[in-house]
Amino acid sequence: MAILKVLGFTLHLVPMNLWFAGTLLAMSLRHNRNEHARRFSHRLMDQMPIIVAAGVNFGIVPLLFAQVAYYRVFYPATILMAWPWLGVIAAVILAYYGVYLYAVGLRSGRMTPVRGAAGWVGAVLFIAVGFVFSNAFTLMTNVPAWAGLWQRSSVAGAPVGTALNVGDPTLWPRWAMVFGLALMTTATYAVVDAGLFARRETEAYRRWATGFALKLYSAGIVWFAAMGSWYVFGTLGADVRQLLSGRGLVVLTALTALGPALPWLAIAAARRGITPVRALTAGFLQVVVLALNATSRQIVQNAELRRVLDVTAERLNVQWSPLILFLMLFAGGLVLVGWMIAKAVEATQQPATAKS
Amino acid sequence: MHYPWWYVPFLTAPMLIAIIAVIHVIVSHYAVGGGLFLALETQYAYRTGSRAYLDYLKGHAWFFILLTVVFGAITGVGIWWIIGLASPLATEVLIHTFVFGWAIEYVFFVIEIASAFIFYYFWGRLRPKTHVQIGWIYAAAAWISLVLITAITGFMLHPGSWPGNRTFWVGFFNPQFIPQVLARTGGAFLLASLYVYLHASIKVRDPGLRDLIAARSARPALAGSGLIVLGGLAWYVFLPASAKAALAAAAALNVLMVLIFAITVAVFIMLYLGPYRNPGWLSPGFAILLFVFGVGAFSTGEFIREAVRKPYIVYNVVMGNQLLVEEIEPAQQRGFLETGTWTRTWMASRYPQLMQGAEVDETRLPALPEDDQRRIGQVIFTHQCNNCHSTQVGYSALSHLMRGWTPELIRSVVGHLNESTFFMPPWVGTPEEADVLTRYLSSIAYPRPGGMEPGPGR
Repeated sequence: MAILKVLGFTLHLVPMNLWFAGTLLAMSLRHNRNEHARRFSHRLMDQMPIIVAAGVNFGIVPLLFAQVAYYRVFYPATILMAWPWLGVIAAVILAYYGVYLYAVGLRSGRMTPVRGAAGWVGAVLFIAVGFVFSNAFTLMTNVPAWAGLWQRSSVAGAPVGTALNVGDPTLWPRWAMVFGLALMTTATYAVVDAGLFARRETEAYRRWATGFALKLYSAGIVWFAAMGSWYVFGTLGADVRQLLSGRGLVVLTALTALGPALPWLAIAAARRGITPVRALTAGFLQVVVLALNATSRQIVQNAELRRVLDVTAERLNVQWSPLILFLMLFAGGLVLVGWMIAKAVEATQQPATAKS
Repeated sequence: MHYPWWYVPFLTAPMLIAIIAVIHVIVSHYAVGGGLFLALETQYAYRTGSRAYLDYLKGHAWFFILLTVVFGAITGVGIWWIIGLASPLATEVLIHTFVFGWAIEYVFFVIEIASAFIFYYFWGRLRPKTHVQIGWIYAAAAWISLVLITAITGFMLHPGSWPGNRTFWVGFFNPQFIPQVLARTGGAFLLASLYVYLHASIKVRDPGLRDLIAARSARPALAGSGLIVLGGLAWYVFLPASAKAALAAAAALNVLMVLIFAITVAVFIMLYLGPYRNPGWLSPGFAILLFVFGVGAFSTGEFIREAVRKPYIVYNVVMGNQLLVEEIEPAQQRGFLETGTWTRTWMASRYPQLMQGAEVDETRLPALPEDDQRRIGQVIFTHQCNNCHSTQVGYSALSHLMRGWTPELIRSVVGHLNESTFFMPPWVGTPEEADVLTRYLSSIAYPRPGGMEPGPGR
């Protein structure tokens, strides 16, 4: 179950990182003096509606398995902050349509002030959604804080659902740490896009994109390291730190901390000339970084919860036939999606026959 | 009560489920039926070489994706969000029973999203045969998602023999599965045609093309109406006895049932006389009217589907008061405040003098001042009654329902909740808890309206 959750979360992290940091970055670059920066902003925001739609769907599996494993703490935590949590739905819908309006402005060449503002609204809402998610998942493990939040915001013992976990010292570095990781993923996206999808762009653009990606990735690493250090050494309990540095997990912890060096090196190599293989290598290594991060986070989550609840002690009632069916359909689904993408790629070689 | 109860003034938390669910189904059924429409009609347009129809279909596909892939998907996630907040125990049961059902649905969502985007964004670049194939892949994936989620909603209404044999497939193939799949498939056909009419009546200027669209979509819409009626009848036949009785007993549901059949018949007649026999009738006004009728029927149907489950959230498994059926009897013996994790904690923090060790001693309640008794009564109300009732103003407000009731009458009803009204859960609590709840309810009950003859007690 944990494997499925981590796998699903890793898949979700890719598009989520892009909309979390990428939208803000792209909006910041839209009036940049450098034409390549503006072009990068254009390309990313043009693809953002699809990225968001995919990311929302990819989020289903990790949330599903989070509820299966952590239901005892997931539901109370989210009920305490029910309105902000429910607000995520409205915020994502608004953010998507904001980004979409902006993309329509880009494609039509008519960027009205309303469309420009819609892009900014989307960027800000994605940051806010990240804040609410960080609240929910830190509150889920911060069981001792529940009583205070509940007593302060309840009617006849029933929470009104307006609490936020802002008093939790782990909230801020965790939220900020994810932003650092998101910057790195966005930087890797710039390389993958330049190497695989930007064939019609100039060579100068592709060179700029890899150089920019290296700077952005470096900034992301510095940010991630700073916030990660604050998170691990400044807020995590000694028991969790001990677990992470213990014999069983020290390798994973080290890989999680040092893993970003690999995509950085791949991006640095791509500066010598971007090719599809180099772009894919950087992309693959960043997915590995995200997977390592998701695994470590899962371990920290379990360790924090172990103080009040041992999720691993939950009695397992494995539904074998639905599980096997799911795995078969998952594999079949991947093949089918792969076939469709192959057909789409093949179609890009054909001249357009209908107005698009 | 294992989980905290979310207090939503006026509406009550479960009504938020109804609101989000209705918004979602109006889009999600179009996501299914519209996929079939696009696949079928794109195939037809390629076969007949109709460039104008292909152009229209491309425009429609853009509208379809903009509405369904994000708004439909996110409101679907929204249902999941809201059921976890407003009905956590039932969600826990559903998630643990159908975890791989949802996981399989996720696979089909991913297929849907990939096929929908490729279908639209590579329009004109894919070979016609491949383009149509991808359209059909979307249509099939979307319909399978409908089937999967319908198994779960059907399970809530009637889990069949699942309580005695708690396996995935027994729950999945519940007595409501086929009837609801039929009705929802029909609904998807019908609603898709109504969306097409609305879109085409506004966007298409060429009368010939508009007539073609009207005529092509009429048959699926009429077939959909037929499936809705067939599925609806089977739905009724396979309802548990309590749900049939609730339909017959509640005046509001009587009216809604008549309304839904009347609207469906009206839509059928309008479709037959309009797009089927006289495609030229399709004007924006006619299409809006059809659409409003269709949405009205859908909303009514969803409301009825939710309402007839009372007093359960999952029939014979989870009660409306957020307790499992097997927990009712022990809770009646232990006391409601003591049974609930959060009510017990609240009592310990506010009334430590009522605690005996870690347990609430309900026998000490009568010794409290009246104000405190009312306050504790309000806690019981919030956790046991607020699932279905607001207080003074709002959804099914008890102050109005109890107008003119004496404390004795309230006490009697509280003690015999499921005996006096079969679609309410049984009272869960000790006699002392019933007394403090009565004190609270008496304090919020509005007086009997003045000027009514004969007066009370005659």
